[in-house]
Amino acid sequence: MSFMGFVLSAVAVASALGVVFNRNPLYSAFHLIVNLLAMAGVYSVLDAHFLAVTQVVVYAGAIMVLVLFVLMLLNLKAGSGRKLGIFRPLCAIAVACSVVTTVYPAVESNFKDLSLHELQEKAWRSEGTVKAVGEELYGRYVRQFELSSLVLLIGIVGAVTLSKRKEGKIGPREGGLGGGK
Amino acid sequence: MGSVVTYVGLSLVLFAIGAVGVCIRRNAIVVFMCIEMMLNAVNLAFVAFSKLQGNLDGQVAVFFVMVIAAAESAIGLAIIIALFRNLVSVETTDAAQLKW
Repeated sequence: MSFMGFVLSAVAVASALGVVFNRNPLYSAFHLIVNLLAMAGVYSVLDAHFLAVTQVVVYAGAIMVLVLFVLMLLNLKAGSGRKLGIFRPLCAIAVACSVVTTVYPAVESNFKDLSLHELQEKAWRSEGTVKAVGEELYGRYVRQFELSSLVLLIGIVGAVTLSKRKEGKIGPREGGLGGGK
Repeated sequence: MGSVVTYVGLSLVLFAIGAVGVCIRRNAIVVFMCIEMMLNAVNLAFVAFSKLQGNLDGQVAVFFVMVIAAAESAIGLAIIIALFRNLVSVETTDAAQLKW
């Protein structure tokens, strides 16, 4: 692992912990932005240049702006202060342990005996420039690429339908509790 | 081989942290952000395996994951806003009407 890769990985793990363990959702969002940018750096260390740029534009740009916008709109206070109990943290530790112990041995045993020379030879073939990834996307994966535009269209329509206010209903800000409860 | 497999290990660690976040956090927006982080961890594994295999299929898969994540974030945040409109809270423990 190169020095740059090591630094970026450390930043990614630290900011990931920051997302989970910060009480204020706003600080979690800022940590997530740092995490996504570090991941973009890791992609470019791994020669996936197109994905690194896409990560910055789509994730750290568009999606996180959307998240911050919703946080601002809802104006939440930091953590509710209710106790976590013992069950949830135990559950979380069990989940983390099972993920690591399931996946890591498989990876380790499959790639232990791969020679460095073979890897070097393969590495230059997988350089993800815009041209190379674009040729794949418009060549072998063109149907899936077109279908993904359909997914985005459905996403737009779904988001508008879900967030549309019904006629004549009083929202929480105008003094009513809306529906529910 | 060491270096690329280390990135798979990093992706595993990030996925586990995201899973822990989904389990212990009650704020729906933070849960949503942890899910985004898990998607990102899987993307990193895809990129690392793409380098191991020496072809670009993994990177194309990451592109499609990003498309789905964008659609998911739009709909997920709309659901969170709808939840807030009905309950005046985004705590997942408050949305327990279907709980037996």
